[in-house]
Parts: sequence; structure tokens; C-alpha cells
Amino acid sequence: MGKIEWAMWANEQALASGLILLTGGIVGVAGQFRGWQFAAYAVAAGVFVCLLEYPRSKRSKGTSVERSGQYCFTVCVKAFGPLTRNYYVRAFLHAAICVPGGFMLATVLGCVCLGIASLIYLVAAIRGEHWEPILPRKEVRKPITESIKNPPQNPPPRPPAEIRRKRVDDLEGAAYDNPISVTDNE
Amino acid sequence: GIMSARSWVANEGGKHLVLMLWLGTNTWLFLKTFLLYSTGQQYHYLYKMLGLGLCISRASASVLNLNCSLVLLPMCRSLLTFVRGTHMVSSRKTRRLLDKSKTFHVACGFAICIFSVVHVSAHLVNVINFSVSYSDDFPALNLARYRGEVRHKYMYIFPGVTGVLLVLILFLMFTSSSYCVRVSNYEIFWYTHNLFIVFYIILMVHMVGGALKYQTNIEAHPPGCVGTNHSSTEQHGDELEQGEDEERTCREQAHFQPHYPQTWLWVSGPLCLYCAERFYRYIRSYDPVTIVTVIRHPCNVIELRMLKKNFKARPGQYIVLNCPGVSSFENHPFTLTTCPTENKKTFGIHLRVVGDWTERFTQLLLPEPRIDLEILPMVRQRRYPNDGWTGFRLQRLYFVWVCRELQSFYWFAELLCAVHQKLWQENRPDYFNLKLFVSQTDNLQSMSDEKYRPLTSRLLVGRPRWKLLFDEIGRTNKHKRVGVFCCGPKGISRTLHRLCNSARSSGTTFEFNKESFS
Repeated sequence: MGKIEWAMWANEQALASGLILLTGGIVGVAGQFRGWQFAAYAVAAGVFVCLLEYPRSKRSKGTSVERSGQYCFTVCVKAFGPLTRNYYVRAFLHAAICVPGGFMLATVLGCVCLGIASLIYLVAAIRGEHWEPILPRKEVRKPITESIKNPPQNPPPRPPAEIRRKRVDDLEGAAYDNPISVTDNE
Repeated sequence: GIMSARSWVANEGGKHLVLMLWLGTNTWLFLKTFLLYSTGQQYHYLYKMLGLGLCISRASASVLNLNCSLVLLPMCRSLLTFVRGTHMVSSRKTRRLLDKSKTFHVACGFAICIFSVVHVSAHLVNVINFSVSYSDDFPALNLARYRGEVRHKYMYIFPGVTGVLLVLILFLMFTSSSYCVRVSNYEIFWYTHNLFIVFYIILMVHMVGGALKYQTNIEAHPPGCVGTNHSSTEQHGDELEQGEDEERTCREQAHFQPHYPQTWLWVSGPLCLYCAERFYRYIRSYDPVTIVTVIRHPCNVIELRMLKKNFKARPGQYIVLNCPGVSSFENHPFTLTTCPTENKKTFGIHLRVVGDWTERFTQLLLPEPRIDLEILPMVRQRRYPNDGWTGFRLQRLYFVWVCRELQSFYWFAELLCAVHQKLWQENRPDYFNLKLFVSQTDNLQSMSDEKYRPLTSRLLVGRPRWKLLFDEIGRTNKHKRVGVFCCGPKGISRTLHRLCNSARSSGTTFEFNKESFS
């Protein structure tokens, strides 16, 4: 099986559960079901879970694909430090959030789905995974000044005129080595 | 580039036609079922009780039936390959449509998810209406025990339990099939997706013991008739707006009966077909494969030559390898780089050591290299059979290969030089046009071997400029059809797709095809 990153799957599940919780809550409030207070709670809980789970974590190995526009969410979630970094906290948080959803028919599905996501997060936490923010890579600019060396100011020294005169018949012999070696300014 | 209608139709036309047909069928089915439940005589009383929720839930259920049956068909890969190869499907357009089968599967999957949400929401509203609009006249129709009853035990009725299970399985399948999860942990996707069999079994018994009933005796008791012990509670509001009130008397009490489950009618055919397909794949994989040669190439690439009884393949096909010594359940696809022919039965693949399966597989195949032994690529006489070239309508081939490092070209250096040589000898030098690109511009080396001269003279540094390449190919092949086959990362694939759809002054049509296994 190799190294499976459970947190990635848990993240997809938690995001979907948040949406299901939100939808169930809206249906419950709009239909004025009995116990609609639980539905109102589910709307708030669904929004919270979606906001928490929207930014994807950076993968430990391989390229991370971030969701569109997730940078601002990443910054917010990062601000909570170890609370959001640790997956044990997330697992228990989701388990706690999902419980009130079980008291009303419209939100029961969201409750169960979030419960499953919480279990997978627990597995991820036991395996030692944690949440890493995906931050834009700062371009490492090589200092330009040091790599461009001063171009030579003067032309290289030339041998005397007799040798320089072009000998068309013997091009091979007309080639010469510079008497003074040409080097850069170190 | 600017999109031209002609190029777009050539590339996207067939796909979008199928999409329109599918959307049209779904819409027609939804509306037909909706109207049946809102205007049908046998549902008159039920509709009075439940209203819109009844129609929406049943209409979405029929759309779900359709999509649950269609979603299995694109996954019968062996069947599709067989259909694609026969002469029934001789049109290239149809073959290109069949290549898009996975996209159709995803579309049906999305439809199933969306309409499941609609179906569940509508049934939630139905549950409330069963309680609020408790019918005293027709007690057989009720689900609630008394007016205003609210119990959560509604979910314990059989369709409720099966419905919750179905949505849970769908939830697991859907969340694990995102691109992200497939790319990082294919096993999670594969194992959860195989829960489909549980899904279908539960789906087929979902409607047993259902709460929705229809009236069986509409001739004897026309809906809306007035009976002796039938109060006119339902005839308030808009019922009495008709001036002439036809006083029909009821001959009998209304009788109601729940529907028989109908999903199995839709779903059993494709399910049997798919199960037969999986069984066929398993049977076919039973014959063992003999590994004939293992060649190590630079940049972590292994070439594998194998033999299998009665194995036939055509260029462009791929095989799926399973090595029980590495993992009993993992199956990995690899495109064939050598096809078996009449004279030479071996077939070959090139595999790159990237993940843990390929690493373990290579460890089993090759011993650890000792420093004093240098493993050279085996140079063997490649005899290209003349009969292997018949039956292809190809007039010219442009092969553009972009690699990061120069060493990668050694994987197929022999083959490319041999093909080049053969075509020069046959006096068809313009049949095969090779362009090699090295994208990493620092630390350039050179292919110093003289025998690789045809490659070094066609080697360019830097990434290819696709637009210029397309223009050049267009100019030399005016008013022809050029098939573009892309195997590579998404960036290149998108660029090429856009270029194929854009306008071309040379009148050449570029048809885009791509291969990807994720």
C-alpha cells in the first residue's frame, strides 16, 4: 500500500460533510421542521467546517495542488497555530460538532458524514500527519552583480604588423597564439 | 489563438453532441415523471397530500435510475476496446468518442450525486407533509400515525435505512475520487470505488416497503368523485372554481397499493455486463507472462520484454501489470512500446521507477549493480517485419519528444535511429520527422556516439514553441487532417488542445487526442 496520506482524504470528506450539513440545515430552517433550532445550528456549523477545511495541506512528498483562492483561508487557518496544525484537535472538534446534527432528520446525514471524516482524521493523527500551509514560494534571486564580471576595457594585445598581415595562401600558419594570456579581472 | 468554428467542431463537436443528447434525455425523463405524478389520475390523492415534494422526489428518482445504469457502461473497457477495433466502428469520429468514455462516466457520476441531493431533500419535505397533511379520508395513504406526528423513526422504515446507506456509500465514493486523492493515493480511490457492488445491491431493494402508494381502481372510484361517506375536505379552494360541477358518485372506496421496485429493470443489464467484464479480465489475466529481457536505461527507466500465449495488441494500446510478488491487488497500466507481430511474439514496455510499486518491482527484476560491473544497454539487431507496416493510412509522422535531461533520449535511441535508417533506405525520408527537445538548459552534455548522429542533428535546446511547430506542420500539410497525440503533463496537454481548436490559415485540421492514466 505504501505511504498513504489519510489527511488528504479526510479533508475532502470533511469539506463535503460541511456542505451536506449546510444544505440539510437550510432545508430544515426553510421547511420550519420541528427542532429547526438544530437546523440553524447546522447552518452555522456547516459554514465553520467549510471554512476550516477549505485550505488544503501541503503534502509531505510530492506536489501539492491547492484549491482556487485558498490563500486567504490558509492565512486565517495558519493563525491558530497548533490548534489547526494538529489533527487530533481536528478529529475531536469534528466529532463534537457533528453530534447536535443527529437530533434532527434533515441534518442526520451531515452528522454521519462528518463523523466518518473525524474518524479518518483520527487515523491520520495516529500516523503522525499534520497540517502544513501551502505558501507561495519566494523566488530565490541569484545576486546578479557578482556573476557579471567586468568586461575588458581594452582590446587584447596584437603581435607586430608583419605577422598580422593576412596570408591567404597559408591560413593555418597565419593563426597565432596571443603572447600575453587573456584573463578576466578576478 | 483565436478559436475557429471549423477546428472546434472537428475537435469538440462529437463530444458536445453526446452531451446534449444525454442532457436532453435526462430533462425529458425528469419532466415526464414530474407530469405523471402531478397530473396522473392514480396519484391524485397522494399529490393532494404531498404536493411538489412527491413529483420532485419521483422525477429525480427516475433520473437516478437512468444515470445509475449508464454510469457502468463506459467502464466496460474490454468491451469498448473490442467495439473500437471492429469494422462496425470504422469512423474515426466514433473511435475518438469512445476514447472519451471516462469523461462520460464522470458526468453520470456527478448527475447521480446532484440528483441524490435533490431526491433526499424532496423526501424530507414529503415526510413533513405526510404528517401535516394527514388524510382522514384515506387512512391507507398515510405514513404518519396521526396528524402532526413527528418521529425520527421515519428513517427506520426500509427505504429510509437503505437510503441513508446509499448516500453514505456515495459520499465515500465521491470524496475519494477527486483528482487530488487519485494522484496521491490511488488505492483509496480504487478500494472505495469498488463499493459500487454494495451500492447496487442496496439500490435494487431500496423501494421495498415504500411509503408512496398509487390508486388501483380509478374506473370505479374516479378521483374527485363524491361518495356517501366521503366529505369534501379536499374540495376547498381551487377545486370549486369550475362552474359546472360534475357530480360523479363513487362506486367503491379508493384502494391503494405501493409500487414494486423498478430500479432492477434499469440497472440489472449494465450491472451484469460490467460483472461479466470484470470476470473476463480476471480470466484473461490467468495465463502467466514470461519475462524475456530486462534492460536498464539511464534516468531510472527499465525496459521489459515479455511473452504471453495468444497475446495480440496494436500500436497505441496499453497493458495492465500485476506482480503478486510485489502486491496482490495492485494493477498498474503501461503503454506498450513494442507490440507482438507475426514473426516476433514478444511485447515490451518501458517503465520509470517513480513510486514504491515500481521500485520494489525493479528490485525483484534486477540484482544490485556492483561497482565493477557496468550494465550496458543491450544492442540487438532489430528486424522490422515488412508486413507490420500494412494497413496504416498514415502518410507522415512528426515525433516531438521533450525531455528534461539528455540521457533520457537513450531509452529509444536505438529504435529511432533504426527507423530513420530504414526509411532512408526505402527512399521515404520525409515520412518520419523527428524533433527532440532538451528542456533543462544548464549542464548540457552531448551524445557523442557517432551512431546516434540522426538524433544529435535533430536535437534542440529549450522548450518547443508549439505555435510555430503547428504553423510549420500546417504549411507543409495543407488541407489535410493531422492527428495530434499528446502524452504528457496537463500544461502541455492544455496548450496543444487550445492550438488544435484555433484558427488555421492553411486549412489543416488538427484533431486532439491525449492519453493519461490518472
